[in-house]
Amino acid sequence: MLRLLLHRALWALPVALGVVTITFFTARLFGGDPTELYAPPEATDELRAQIREKLGLGDPLLVQYLRYLGEIARFDFGISFTTNQPVGQDLTERLPATLELGLIGLGLGILIGVPLGVIAAVSRERVPDFLVRGITLAGMALPQFWIGLVLIWVFFVILGWLPGPVGRLPIGVPLPEPITGFLLVDLALLRDWEKWRLALLQLVLPAGTLAFAMLAPIARVTRSSMVEALQSDYIRTAVAMGFGRRAIWFRYALRNALLPVVTLVGVLAGYVFGGAVLLESIFGWPGLGQYALQAIESSDFAALQGFVIYAALLYVGTFLLVDMLYILIDPRMRT
Amino acid sequence: MKRAPFSWSMRIGLGILAVYAAVALLALVWTPHDPLSPGVGDSYLAPSAEFPLGTDRLGSDVLSRLMAGTQYNLGIALVAVSIALAVGSLLGVIAGYYGGPLDIAISRGVEVFQAFPGVLFAMLVAKAVGPGVINIILVLSFVGIPDYVRLARAEVQSRRNWPYAEAARMVGNRSWQVAFRHLLPNSTGPLLAFTSINAAFVSLVTASLGFLGLGLSPNTPEWGNMIARGQDGVMTGEWWVSFFPGLAILGMTGAFYLLGDALSDLTDPRRRR
Repeated sequence: MLRLLLHRALWALPVALGVVTITFFTARLFGGDPTELYAPPEATDELRAQIREKLGLGDPLLVQYLRYLGEIARFDFGISFTTNQPVGQDLTERLPATLELGLIGLGLGILIGVPLGVIAAVSRERVPDFLVRGITLAGMALPQFWIGLVLIWVFFVILGWLPGPVGRLPIGVPLPEPITGFLLVDLALLRDWEKWRLALLQLVLPAGTLAFAMLAPIARVTRSSMVEALQSDYIRTAVAMGFGRRAIWFRYALRNALLPVVTLVGVLAGYVFGGAVLLESIFGWPGLGQYALQAIESSDFAALQGFVIYAALLYVGTFLLVDMLYILIDPRMRT
Repeated sequence: MKRAPFSWSMRIGLGILAVYAAVALLALVWTPHDPLSPGVGDSYLAPSAEFPLGTDRLGSDVLSRLMAGTQYNLGIALVAVSIALAVGSLLGVIAGYYGGPLDIAISRGVEVFQAFPGVLFAMLVAKAVGPGVINIILVLSFVGIPDYVRLARAEVQSRRNWPYAEAARMVGNRSWQVAFRHLLPNSTGPLLAFTSINAAFVSLVTASLGFLGLGLSPNTPEWGNMIARGQDGVMTGEWWVSFFPGLAILGMTGAFYLLGDALSDLTDPRRRR
């Protein structure tokens, strides 16, 4: 089993290399002349030549590529010209906001989605099943940004129960110096409960939107995998032996049905931790997704490349983790 | 117990898609107002008899734009998945049937492309190639191809040495004939089921790109574009500009999901009840 794990881990390396390579050449092929991004419009040809020299753009593409690989290996993603900071630093600063929103949204999605899937599976083709299937269909078929807008409209514009989409704290309330970067944790550490309440209120709508989008596929996969588990021989045996319904559902069927859910949660985690781009833009959430969007809008290719590589590597890493978890929890994989 | 080929979810799915197709065709010849010209009414008129879904900030009729948008959203989804299905199954069948270095090359390539989060990759490439219907279609089909390759490859590989394939070889069929005329047709069901699910995903990404302004030119009545145009109105109570395009997306994507579910119920014996 150890060999299997090691084998799987080593396999992530060429994929990561492929990701970096494609990003580099996509940006070079489509991005135009990077000099234009650094040079002011009125720059002379001489200045442009100097900039090209400084950026190393005169070298053959292969040399540039190898140098780029070297920089990435040292976590040097270049300087973003919109923030004038190293891209690596930008990403690290914005990561906690994305993680905080993502963890809460995904956590709620699992906590609600798995029970919904179980309820649907055990009441198959009856009213609760149809309700759950309706909810999951809506959750998967609606764009997240639209759900977010409608929730803002109902809870902020009409009812006025929740604050507007202005980020992690209301306008005019300064963010505390980051300790962990997780706002709710930081404010709890500072014992600033009034701000903690404000921050929590800001979080309700974006986290709710994300949770709705996450619970839909989770409930769906739980349901179909649970339906399959309930039809299997070991469940029939358990029924014949007179076990109670609850024991059968939760102790036997659900435990076996959860394997595909683990994979799915891994995929979803890779997605939310890469920054739910549109969601963050709707709610003014200062995370990675918003950073990527700004980079796209201002053609900030250093920032964009850095972000894409970060997100893709995160994806590869999450898949690796899920596969390893799978090897650990599924006895059939230990051959 | 055998399932009827036309389950209720397939009927609903097909029915809704037929309505969308009809609206798309109708909008080619008739809409209540001109969808592209601003100022057919005042700005932000609430839904009324003359403008059943209201008007947007520029005074365009929301219903007319919604109808005209059907061509874009339905058309882009259908063309993009068709291209992805064709190219993806071609590569997948080759990889699955012939194996060897070709298979390794194709499969590894697929794995690298799958490491990019789909929506993000679509955004990056859409930004790079610029707006336009053709560009969006190519980007979206490109993003989908790896999934089709994986699916077709697994299907063909698992049945490459089945008796009927052996028999086809024995009577003198060339290898490509066995692969494409005997093995591929037997994978039609799973491939079509996935195509329908993929069409739902493509519709959502089309709307997302439109919402970000990366999809089509700003005045195009694409539904994501329309939601973006109404975004400011939502904050001041003019909800209808953004609200109705979302419902239109829900109907189309939901129909694709239902159809995909029905198709996989039909083709996957384990899911037959």
